[in-house]
Amino acid sequence: MVKRLSELPEVEAKHLSPERVKCPTYDDTPLLPGKPLAQRRVAIISTAGLHKRGDRAFDRDDGSYRVIPAETPASDLVMSHVSVNFDRTGFQQDHNVVFPIDRLRELVADGTVGSMASVHYSFMGAFPVDAAEPHAKHLAGLLKADKVDAAILIPV
Amino acid sequence: MGALGHFLERQGIPTAGISLVREHTEIVRPPRALWVTFDLGRPLGKPDDAAFQSRVLRAQLAMLERTDGPLLVDYPEDVDGEVDLTGWACPISLAPRPSDTLGAEVDRLMTWYDRAVAARGRTTVGTSGLDMPAAAALVTGALDGPLPPAQALKLAVDDLRAFYLEAASAFPDPGTTKTRMAWFWDETLLAKALLALQPKLAASEDPQHKLLGALTLIPATERHRLGAAP
Repeated sequence: MVKRLSELPEVEAKHLSPERVKCPTYDDTPLLPGKPLAQRRVAIISTAGLHKRGDRAFDRDDGSYRVIPAETPASDLVMSHVSVNFDRTGFQQDHNVVFPIDRLRELVADGTVGSMASVHYSFMGAFPVDAAEPHAKHLAGLLKADKVDAAILIPV
Repeated sequence: MGALGHFLERQGIPTAGISLVREHTEIVRPPRALWVTFDLGRPLGKPDDAAFQSRVLRAQLAMLERTDGPLLVDYPEDVDGEVDLTGWACPISLAPRPSDTLGAEVDRLMTWYDRAVAARGRTTVGTSGLDMPAAAALVTGALDGPLPPAQALKLAVDDLRAFYLEAASAFPDPGTTKTRMAWFWDETLLAKALLALQPKLAASEDPQHKLLGALTLIPATERHRLGAAP
């Protein structure tokens, strides 16, 4: 269980230290208002380095994204994140612990969420932010074209 | 991850993220983040627990209704630590013999891998495009001869690791994630091969090989084993 870094074993705390990871800083971004959740169309944006089997694997410093159509069977999902410093057995056991598409589908079915995007996306989270920014801007346009008005961001 | 929140929200897409490392999120200050105490690699908390995952997802989605931020909300539920089965031993004999090869080890695991795939209906093996004997041959070849390109080697190793751990999940007594991870690093020829490969990558003149050796072959928690490999 990850708690505060100060509670982790030294080797893990050191590996995750903000100094080593070089966390970027930004001016605060104003939070956008929106419709009630029951009327929103939601997309999943993962940074777990997920893609369909056969799609181009992520490489080091890759800031691009892969497209995961909503109908993609779980058996077609693979992960090519470059990092070896997280547990992959949860994903091996149940894709929803990383990419909660079945949970989102259930929330749409029970009316909690308006609808689900027709396409979801994954980046590979170890990207240099400058490499990802142009792709993210492009992605925003794709989301709007799919009438998406909320994105849930899921790290790994 | 937090950076994507800034990028997308500024482009007109409302976002709500999960934070796995609170200290990072406190610096990046994305628009909305739900901090969870779960292990890295498990942002929704518990595999095969739909109710638990749904509670996390609902808490994340609920933040979308708010515009007072940046928001960093602490999720109240933890995942209980795994029961530590001290004394767990791999229930089938995979202990390498002196004449053993990586290919033979892969061959022995194939039955268990097939059972795991049958039980789950899926596998996460398949980023390299190689079958497992070919991936094992690539690793053996890298040890004995010239190094293949770094990305090909990395994907083959990732596939092999997934293959081993999926196979181990189908052992008659599968233990826990932690015991299977210990089995992988303590007992398998693949782990020995990776530990032996690391210095060769580090000494390569190819910068991609150096990076693979320095960062993405051996997890930070297992690097203490380097130098101890035979």
